[in-house]
Amino acid sequence: MKLIKTKEENLEENYLELHYDTMDEETNAVLDRLRDTLRYIEGTYDDKKVTIALTDIFYIETVDRKTFAYTKDMCVEIKEALRDILEEYSNIGFARISKSAIVNIYKIKKLQGDINMRVIIFLKNDEKLVMNRSYKNEFYERLNKLQRRKAK
Amino acid sequence: MKLINAKNFIPIVCICFTVITCGKLLFEKIAGFTDRYYTENIFTVLGFSVLITLILSVHYYLRKFPFLLVFIGQYVVTVGIVFLAIWIGSKVSDIAPTAYWDMFYSITIPFLGGAVVYYICFFWQIRKANKILEKL
Repeated sequence: MKLIKTKEENLEENYLELHYDTMDEETNAVLDRLRDTLRYIEGTYDDKKVTIALTDIFYIETVDRKTFAYTKDMCVEIKEALRDILEEYSNIGFARISKSAIVNIYKIKKLQGDINMRVIIFLKNDEKLVMNRSYKNEFYERLNKLQRRKAK
Repeated sequence: MKLINAKNFIPIVCICFTVITCGKLLFEKIAGFTDRYYTENIFTVLGFSVLITLILSVHYYLRKFPFLLVFIGQYVVTVGIVFLAIWIGSKVSDIAPTAYWDMFYSITIPFLGGAVVYYICFFWQIRKANKILEKL
């Protein structure tokens, strides 16, 4: 299978196009990995139904039994519970950081520790989140898993 | 993850007791020191091992509180219990004139050492995670 990368200026959105005669094992494997990353989730924003790509989500949190997904410029209320999202999409890069929040690891700019052993998460949209000490090991395990997957 | 539980509590106490006692005997052999309060000190080491294991096992339940507060709280409780035990011990038998200071050092040094190791591991883990994040 060949990979051809073409740089196009002023493109509205990046896209992938697949040319094939028959779907072989290799192509299916690539598609399987892509399917995970190109998943979408439905929710409501300003009383309107919207669909957002999971990869656009920075973090998801539960407030008053409602779940909100935060993208760069939207806060979308979604129906899924945090536990379900983690079960289904943890291989995309979601990791729990507290009882009421999960973060998209790919949207993290850096981590910083404070004197109380809390980990401060700086996101790429300049927001800050605090990781609870109880979820530290689980988070590092997920991070290492993603690193191993990338190395494969 | 809960590291100390009901199943491994006694084995951990036994390991602590053995390590501290061996260290004590080794130090006495090297320094040529004879412990006049040998029996009392052996039981003190046992009590100390139980206390430290108990305090470390409680740490799991206090993870939602700020670390510094938990650390200082546990230190103060440990010093309090040990000093109370020395005070009770002094009523029933002779204790060394420096007993309070000796126990103060015996508690403070492991606590500070443990805290330093914990802090180093914590910041090392963050540094390692930041390197992974850069590569992702």
